Amino acid sequence: MAEHMDTRLVKLARKGNQGAFAELVELYKDKIFHLAYRMLSNRHEAEDIVQEAFLRVYKNWDRYDENQKFSTWIYRIATNLCIDRLRKRKPTYSLDAELNDQDGTDGYTLVPGDERTPETAYLLSETQTTIHQAIDGLPAKYKSVMVLRYLQELSLQEIADILKMPVTTVKTRVHRGREFLRKRLEHKLF
Amino acid sequence: MDCKQAASLMHEYLDHDLPEDQALGLKSHLDICEACRMKLKELEQTDMLLFAAVKSSIPSAPDDVLERIMSKLPKQRKQQAWLRWVRRHPALTAAAMFLLVMIFSSLSLWQADDQLIVKGADLDQVRIEGHTVIVPEGTAIAGDLTIENGNTEVYGEVKGNLTVIDGSLYQASTAKIAGDAKTIDQALDWIWYRITNTFSEVAYR
Repeated sequence: MAEHMDTRLVKLARKGNQGAFAELVELYKDKIFHLAYRMLSNRHEAEDIVQEAFLRVYKNWDRYDENQKFSTWIYRIATNLCIDRLRKRKPTYSLDAELNDQDGTDGYTLVPGDERTPETAYLLSETQTTIHQAIDGLPAKYKSVMVLRYLQELSLQEIADILKMPVTTVKTRVHRGREFLRKRLEHKLF
Repeated sequence: MDCKQAASLMHEYLDHDLPEDQALGLKSHLDICEACRMKLKELEQTDMLLFAAVKSSIPSAPDDVLERIMSKLPKQRKQQAWLRWVRRHPALTAAAMFLLVMIFSSLSLWQADDQLIVKGADLDQVRIEGHTVIVPEGTAIAGDLTIENGNTEVYGEVKGNLTVIDGSLYQASTAKIAGDAKTIDQALDWIWYRITNTFSEVAYR
């Protein structure tokens, strides 16, 4: 049903119908904002991503493949924009080596804290804080997979389509990401 | 089954991707391995916590995001319609451009003016009286001769081609033209002449 509606709106929007385009923005702005917020842990940057993603959609309709779901396309655009931002942030700590290792040393403590206000931080439970920090500490390529999997609840196949990589790669990343987070939580929660 | 194999099956299980026979294999391993039982429990909890925590405490997108996006959209949709056509048909576009340039350049040459133009390699011998170009008796023009917007009277000899555009050609009985003698009057003929001429010029270069 939702897909059918997407297809109709996309058809109209591609022809230059601004009303249909606005509809699409309404349908997807929160999803894209949440995705970007979890990737970047920063409100302002997440807002920028939402705007940039929709402007790119608008400018690149001729590159959109109609056999593909619209959601796949816009998630790809947004994810790529987020990954670019993460790469441009000054130091990148490679957690890869650690992820392959069996005993995880602290990589994420090096990652700069997010910009949550003290009040909201106070409202978060310790468990949630731990998980958010652990996700923040993931390298971009793991972070994007984990966010798409756990925030958007997409299937492994959909994630593979979005990131244009084989399903097996997505699987490996989910497994490693999950393993990494389990170890982070091990001492604190279980 | 060793613990390493079991770990990978656990993840498949959490992905809801574990076939039944392998699930049974994993179960029989878990029955005898305390450590793996613990691990699966932790992984399951991690999985659930992730679903819950990732979605909690996310601010919603600001209300004016739609307005801001709509105000930033570029305006020129109309122009893009033909631009898209051009992008889809590059060969046709190139052909059309070529034709257009040809026609315009030809037309502009054709309409250039009413001035008499004489072109040739050996013009010393040619006599011009008003709008009439005369090749006098007893003279021989070495190469081609082209006359535009004028009448031509030939009494002598032309060793190359003679082309008269928008004018009349008179050949006296003494006239000798070694190459072709052509008279061109109409715009279409003129364009055709330009095209064939261009091609033959290119071909001989």
